[in-house]
Amino acid sequence: MNYSFALSSPVNGLRFCSVDTKSNFKLAIYTASFALPLGKDTAVNALLPGLLKRTCKKYPTLTQMNKHLASLYGAMVSAGVSKDGESQILTLRITALEDRFALTDEKISEKAAELLLDLIFDPNTVDGKFIEADVEREKRLMIEQIENELNDKRYYALKRCTEIMCKNEVYAMSRCGDIEDIKKIDCEAVTAAWKKMLETATVYIGVTGSMDAEPIKQKFAEKFSTVNRTKLAELHTEFITSADETTKVREELPVKQGKLVLGMRAGMVDDEDNYIPIKVMSDIFGGGVYSKLFNNVREKMSLCYYCSAGFNRSKGLIMVQSGIENENEQKAIEAILNELEDMKKGNFSDDDLTSSIKALTNLSLVNDTPEGLDRWYCGQMLDRDIITPEEYAEQISAVTREQVISAAQNVSLDTVYMLAGTATGEEGEDDE
Amino acid sequence: MNNKTVINEIYNELLDEKCYHAVHPTGLNIYCMPKKGYSGAYAVFGTNYGSIDTKILNKNGEIEDIPEGTAHFLEHKLFESEDLDAFARYAKTGANANAYTSFDTTCYLFSCTGDFNASLRILLDFVQSPYFTEQTVAKEQGIIGQEITMYKDVADWEVLFNLLRALYHSHPVRIDIAGTTESIAEITAQTLYDCYNNFYNLNNMVLAVAGNADINEILEICDELLKPCEQFKFERKPHDEPEEIVQEYIEEKLSVASPIFSFGYKESFGLPKRSLKDKIATNVLLEMLAGTTSDLYNSLLEQGLINTSFGFEQFTGFGYSATIFSGESKDPHEVARQINAAVKEMREKGVNEEEFDRIRRKLYGRIVMSFNDIDEIANDLVGAHFDKVGMFDDIEIFRSLTTADVKKILDNTMREKFAALSVINPID
Repeated sequence: MNYSFALSSPVNGLRFCSVDTKSNFKLAIYTASFALPLGKDTAVNALLPGLLKRTCKKYPTLTQMNKHLASLYGAMVSAGVSKDGESQILTLRITALEDRFALTDEKISEKAAELLLDLIFDPNTVDGKFIEADVEREKRLMIEQIENELNDKRYYALKRCTEIMCKNEVYAMSRCGDIEDIKKIDCEAVTAAWKKMLETATVYIGVTGSMDAEPIKQKFAEKFSTVNRTKLAELHTEFITSADETTKVREELPVKQGKLVLGMRAGMVDDEDNYIPIKVMSDIFGGGVYSKLFNNVREKMSLCYYCSAGFNRSKGLIMVQSGIENENEQKAIEAILNELEDMKKGNFSDDDLTSSIKALTNLSLVNDTPEGLDRWYCGQMLDRDIITPEEYAEQISAVTREQVISAAQNVSLDTVYMLAGTATGEEGEDDE
Repeated sequence: MNNKTVINEIYNELLDEKCYHAVHPTGLNIYCMPKKGYSGAYAVFGTNYGSIDTKILNKNGEIEDIPEGTAHFLEHKLFESEDLDAFARYAKTGANANAYTSFDTTCYLFSCTGDFNASLRILLDFVQSPYFTEQTVAKEQGIIGQEITMYKDVADWEVLFNLLRALYHSHPVRIDIAGTTESIAEITAQTLYDCYNNFYNLNNMVLAVAGNADINEILEICDELLKPCEQFKFERKPHDEPEEIVQEYIEEKLSVASPIFSFGYKESFGLPKRSLKDKIATNVLLEMLAGTTSDLYNSLLEQGLINTSFGFEQFTGFGYSATIFSGESKDPHEVARQINAAVKEMREKGVNEEEFDRIRRKLYGRIVMSFNDIDEIANDLVGAHFDKVGMFDDIEIFRSLTTADVKKILDNTMREKFAALSVINPID
């Protein structure tokens, strides 16, 4: 390990994580993540990261904020909304140059941490309320973002399959809520949601870099101690261990390539349940270029350019995705399910298992970038016990063939979703 | 081999980074940037051959046309061999391998933690061992056919290539990197061998490594595995491309929620490639004109004409150069009009010193930060080599840049009569 890290909980429901990267990197990352239950407030909550990111009391216009960031050596603020099981995660993240590259003797780290505090605690409000123009701008940007999810057909098909599959679970909700709900939001609602977030969210604050993290922790502790955090929102995710029957849905769009998604239940009762063997199983099934789906559905059958399986630990799902010709739908479904059957029967080689373990324990992507380390620890914000990448690699390496087979046997097919293309290959092509 | 290859060390004080460079007796240029404290390494083996190279020198010394998309097809097929394909070999070392084809390069890469030397051996071996048969070529036509079809639905991709077709009459930058289903149907095993022999010559290639790696060990493996090549004969010829654009507006309908646009100015310049100084000055100019601190960007955002998908780039390579703005908008024509107006206004007002300093500070930070990720570093080493510049040249040029350099670019680029707008509209 080329870094060290320290965890603490200076405030109720707040985890502070500092990763000391020992001057190995050129940049540092400052992250604040807030977890809230998916539900009636999801749409209004989703506006908060963008709204908080773009301005604050000190820099009340877009131009002022952006000029400040430019002067701070091109520091970047990103705002994110995602789902972790049935929790909504709101994130503000600042990426900034490490102090030793400053051209004068200023401390970039102090300014970056201060900015993150300002964004969270000192937004651009008048009489304690967010400003209408800011809220309306954010609503427009969010609505356009949701509408434009249609443009990425691979993402869109995955989202549709998940909605259909989990229609009786909270998880069916979009991470940003519905457009109709967003339209109704006013300044009062956003202001109330912001206060509720500070009071009830489970919070993760992470700093990854070579700065002195202690004063940053103190400042966050001080700020959060002014907030009443005695009643935290409960976070819970429903796990459905198996599918009783398979739902089939076919939708159409005027596209040239069809998108097939097979939604599966991984057989988990909670997010800790057997997840390491399931990860390896899912990877042999449809992870890298050594996987069964890649080698058979793509390479041997030439059915597609991509066919892969993704494991969603926090909800116990395995989603298989492929882009195919409409006419190959049945052939592709059968081929994918055959590979799954093979996994259940143990028809995979020891080499397949070794390849998968080797690939999953390639930790360069985590350990060699501040972004990777930040994601690693922030990604565990809802886990009781934090594990290091090395501990994870150790657990992955210990997975046996029998564990993989048994994990595969718990997988059941829930939903088959086909986004069929109705445009021909020639239509809309250029003149050549 | 007993040839002791000379290793040059290049150090940059500002970044506190070292880079090694060596020219192997076979002609291969080798770069290595070791990174202290990193657990993994990333290697790229690239050739100066991409989708714009649509002609080869055949065995009889004549220039011959090859099908569009051949470079990309060859990239897919090179992974195969008579016995174990490269992916299966990499699976044993745990390296994460991939490849990509751009307009002017084809690169094979891997990243790994541990067992770097074994993975490097695989990389050097398979890229030097072509094996194509009619059967494997036919199989790939199905896979790449689906890749091409997939991109036909990707609006961001289509809007860019439509723009390039509106800007360029004959330069092959206007063709899709992967070709078309029709063009790739013409590719045979022999086409691939011909192209391979033309461009996969170590004198036309580069090996770049960043991360936890040692230049001496790399050279030892190179001594062992690199095969001597014939002299490299092919030279890219400048294309006969007029200064004028093809058409001012191009439109396509796809399944999208709102219009997507790409607005570009075609730039003409004397040399086949733009100088590094011009590129850096252009970057500063674009940030000043349309970056997040500019009046143009913030005004377009406040008017509801753009959203956070808005971006710009300097799109330049061998014989082509364009300044491109893109994004989603309910009114792309109005966005284009306001960009034109902002360029005009900036020409009248001149380059603002205060804003210039601010952007310099911003880009200084961004350049330093770009020396962080080993994948980015290794790929940048490849790009710098083919552009015939040093890895640290940009930060040095950047430090000495003046407003006059930016003004020169402003005066000579982004002319309205060479602009075209490409729009993808939703299907009614």
